Amino acid sequence: MSEERLTRRDFLKVSAAAGVGIVISIYLPGCLQADRTPAATTEPAAALAPNLFVTISTDGQVTITCPRPDMGQGTRTALPMILAEELGADWASVQVKQADADPAYGDQQTGGSTSIQVYYDPLRRAGAVGRALLIAAAAQLWSAPPESCTARNGLVTNRETGEQFSFGELVETAMTLPVPNPVAAGLSDPSEFTLIGTTVPRFDAPDIVTGRAVFGMDVRAQGVLYAAVARCPSFGGRLAGYDDAAALAVPGVVRVVEIQCGMDGTTPTRGVAVVARDTWSAIQGRSALRVDWEEGDGASLDSAQIEGQLRERAAIEATEGRLVAYYRVPYYSHAPMEPINSIAWVHEDRCEIWAPTQNPQLLRDRIAQTYHFSEVVLHVPLVGGGFGRRLEFANTPGGNLPAMHLTEAVNISREVGAPVHVVWTRDDDIHFDYFQPLSVTRMTATLGNINSIQERRLDAAGYAVPTGALRAVTNIPQAFAHESFMDEYAAATGQDPVEVRRQVLQPRARTVLDLAAEQAGWGSPLPPGRGRGAAIHSTWGVSPCAEVAEVSVDADGRVRVERVVAAIDCGVAINPDLVRAQVEGGIIFGLSTTLKGEITIVGGRVQQSNFHDYPLLGMSESPEIEVHIVESTEDPTGIGEMANPPISAAVANAIFAATGKRVRRLPIRPEDILSAA
Amino acid sequence: MSQIELHLNGESLTVDVEPGMPLLWVLRDVLGLTGTKYSCGIGVCGCCTVLIDGDAEQSCRIPVSEVRGREITTIEGLSVDGSHPIQQAWIAEQVAQCGYCQPGQIMAAVALLRRNPHPSPDEIRQAMDRVLCRCGTYPRILKAIQRAAEGALA
Repeated sequence: MSEERLTRRDFLKVSAAAGVGIVISIYLPGCLQADRTPAATTEPAAALAPNLFVTISTDGQVTITCPRPDMGQGTRTALPMILAEELGADWASVQVKQADADPAYGDQQTGGSTSIQVYYDPLRRAGAVGRALLIAAAAQLWSAPPESCTARNGLVTNRETGEQFSFGELVETAMTLPVPNPVAAGLSDPSEFTLIGTTVPRFDAPDIVTGRAVFGMDVRAQGVLYAAVARCPSFGGRLAGYDDAAALAVPGVVRVVEIQCGMDGTTPTRGVAVVARDTWSAIQGRSALRVDWEEGDGASLDSAQIEGQLRERAAIEATEGRLVAYYRVPYYSHAPMEPINSIAWVHEDRCEIWAPTQNPQLLRDRIAQTYHFSEVVLHVPLVGGGFGRRLEFANTPGGNLPAMHLTEAVNISREVGAPVHVVWTRDDDIHFDYFQPLSVTRMTATLGNINSIQERRLDAAGYAVPTGALRAVTNIPQAFAHESFMDEYAAATGQDPVEVRRQVLQPRARTVLDLAAEQAGWGSPLPPGRGRGAAIHSTWGVSPCAEVAEVSVDADGRVRVERVVAAIDCGVAINPDLVRAQVEGGIIFGLSTTLKGEITIVGGRVQQSNFHDYPLLGMSESPEIEVHIVESTEDPTGIGEMANPPISAAVANAIFAATGKRVRRLPIRPEDILSAA
Repeated sequence: MSQIELHLNGESLTVDVEPGMPLLWVLRDVLGLTGTKYSCGIGVCGCCTVLIDGDAEQSCRIPVSEVRGREITTIEGLSVDGSHPIQQAWIAEQVAQCGYCQPGQIMAAVALLRRNPHPSPDEIRQAMDRVLCRCGTYPRILKAIQRAAEGALA
C-alpha cells in the first residue's frame, strides 16, 4: 500500500465526542474505490468524505459502522475483525452497526467483490492509530515509556510492572492526547495475526436462527399499508385502462391507484397498485383487477431469435488448422429468496425509506433527485440475497431504469398518505427482473499456438429486455467459453487439460490449479460413466479459483455432479470459514446456472414465473464440496464472485471426459448431451 | 372475516381474519411473527415452513381456517433464546449466509429429526430437498443436521 496515500492530511481523523468516547473517522481516497464498479467516483470531493466510523466508548465497547450492505458474505463480521486485530480489542466487546445511505460513508455499493479489499488497509490503519492512542494514554497514567506497553484483548499491559488498564478506563485520557501519525503507528506483521485468519462466528447468526433477524420484508412501519402492482406483462407495452370494482370488493383492500412505475425521464410505464391492510389482500386484489394493456414495440421479442441474431453476427468460416467454437449462455433471473420489496413513507416534503439493497446511495439519490424532497432517509435492513439484482443496474434502450419497486412505493405513498410496503410476488420478481443478458461467445485458436486463443462475446444488448448484473456478471460467459475451449484445445492437440492450462497461467493461478488437481486426484482412474473436468478463472482479475468437478452421466444424458474440489487464493483469508462458505455457495449458485433454470422470451413476454419453471439446485442434487485456501500474506482480494464462474466449464469438461460429448450451451440439458457430437 | 382460534407456539389465541388467508400471512401481517418467510407463494420453495402437529408444512398454501385447533409451531416458538439443538447446530456449523431461507430450513430439519432421529445423509438430502437456498448453504445444512442428530445420540 502506498505511503503517498497515507500522507494525505485527511486520511484519518480522531475526535473526542462527549458521551460517546473516541471517534475514529477514516477517509478513503477515491483511488481506492475499485474502478470497475460502474458507480465508483474519482471526484476529489467524494475522496475526502469519511467512509468508516469507529468508536471506542468509556465502557470499553468498540463499535464499527458497516458502510456496505451484507447480503450473506459476512462483511459485517469480517470488517470488524480487521479493525479489532490491529486495535487489540476484546472481540466480545466489538459490535457492528449498519449505516444508513449517506454520502459521508463514501461508496456504499456492495458489488464487484470489493468490500474487504477496499477496507483492509484503512481499517488496519485505524486500528493501529487507536491502539497507539490507548497505549499513549496508559503510558502517561503510568509515567512509563509507551514501548513498554502492549494492547491485547481490550487491555493495555505494562510489561515492566504487570499493571493493566482496560480500554474503557483509558478513553477519557486518550481523548486529551494528540493523534498519532497513521504511518508511524505501525501495523502488525500478518504472521502475528491472532484474530485475522481464525473462524469467528457471524454477528447475525443468532438472530437468523431465532427468526429475529429483520430483513426488508420484516420491517414494520407504523400504520403501514401493503401494495401489489399490476404492470404490463410484455416489454414496451402500456396501460390502456382498468376496472377496479372487483379489486375493491376484496376484503382488506383499501385503495386502487394508477401510478408511474418507472422514474421520470427514463422509461415511464404506468401500472395499477392495489393497496391493502395486509400483503395477502393486496395480492388477491391485484388478481381481481381487470386491466387492459396495449402491446408495444417489444411485443415480438423472442429469445430464440435474439440468439440466432447473435449467432449470425458471431459466425466466421472454419479454416484448416483453426479451431472455432461458439458458446451460449441464456438470460438468467437473479431470484434471491427475499423477493424485491421496499417501504416508502412520504410525509410533506420528506421521505423515509427502508430498502434491502446493495446500492443505498443510488436509490436515495434517485428518489431525492426525482422528487425534490427536502430530506430522504434510507435505512438498510438485512438483505435476503442480492446477487447483483439489488445493485439496481438496469440497461434498457430507453436508459437506466433502476429501483422500480421503490419508485412504486414512493408514488403510492404520495397518493395514500401512509407508509407503503411494496411487495413483489415471486412472479413479479422473475418477470420484471433485470436479467443477465443472453450471450454468444466465439472462441478461436490456431492449433499448435496456445497463445493464439481469442474470444469475442456478443451480449444481447439494445433489445427492450432490461438487463443487469448477475453475480460475477461477464465472468460467467467468459469462464464458460474460455475454460471449455481450453479443454477443446487440449483434446484437439492431444494434451492433458490441466497441463495445457499450466503452460499459460501466472504462477499464483498455477499453484491454485495444481492444488485443486492434486486434491481431486486428477488423473486417477474413475468408473465408467464418470468423468472429471477442470477449470480456473480469476473474476475481475483477482482471487484465482480452480475447480475440479466429478460427474456421472447416465444413458438418458442426466448429469449428476458428485463432487467438486475447489482451491482459491484470495490473499489473507480474514475469516477462512467465510471464504469456504462463499466458495461452497458460489459453486452451488453456479450449478443452478449450469444445470437448472433459464429465462426465455416469447411474444415479448418472459415465459417463467416461479421456482417450478425457473428451478434452482436443490439439496438432493448438491455435490460433496471440498474447499482449499492457499496460505497467503498478500493483501486480501474478493471472494463473493469467484466460485460460480468456473463451475460451468468444469462440469461441461467433466461431461466430455465421461461421454466424449461436448456441450456448448447453458443450462446443460440431457437432450443436448445426447445430440452432441 | 371470522374468528379463528389458533394453538400457536404453546398458546391459544383468536384471530379475526378472512378464513381463506394463508397461515403465512396471518403469522406475518396479523400477528407480527415475521420469522416465517414469504418467497414463492406456491409451495415450492419451503421458506415458509412451519410445524403443524409436528410435521413440516408450507404455510403459504394452507388457509388459516384449516389449522383451527391444530398445534402450530413457528421459528419463534422453537426456543426463546436459540437454545434448541437444531438452532445450536446451525450456529456451530455457521450455516446461514443471507439467512432468509434459514427459518424454513430449520423447521424442516426439526420435523425430519422428530420422525427420524438418526437419518442417513441421503435421507437428509431427500427430506431437505423441499427447501431452496439461493446462497447454496446445503453442505452446511447437511452437517448441522448430522451434528444435531449425533447430539441426540450422546
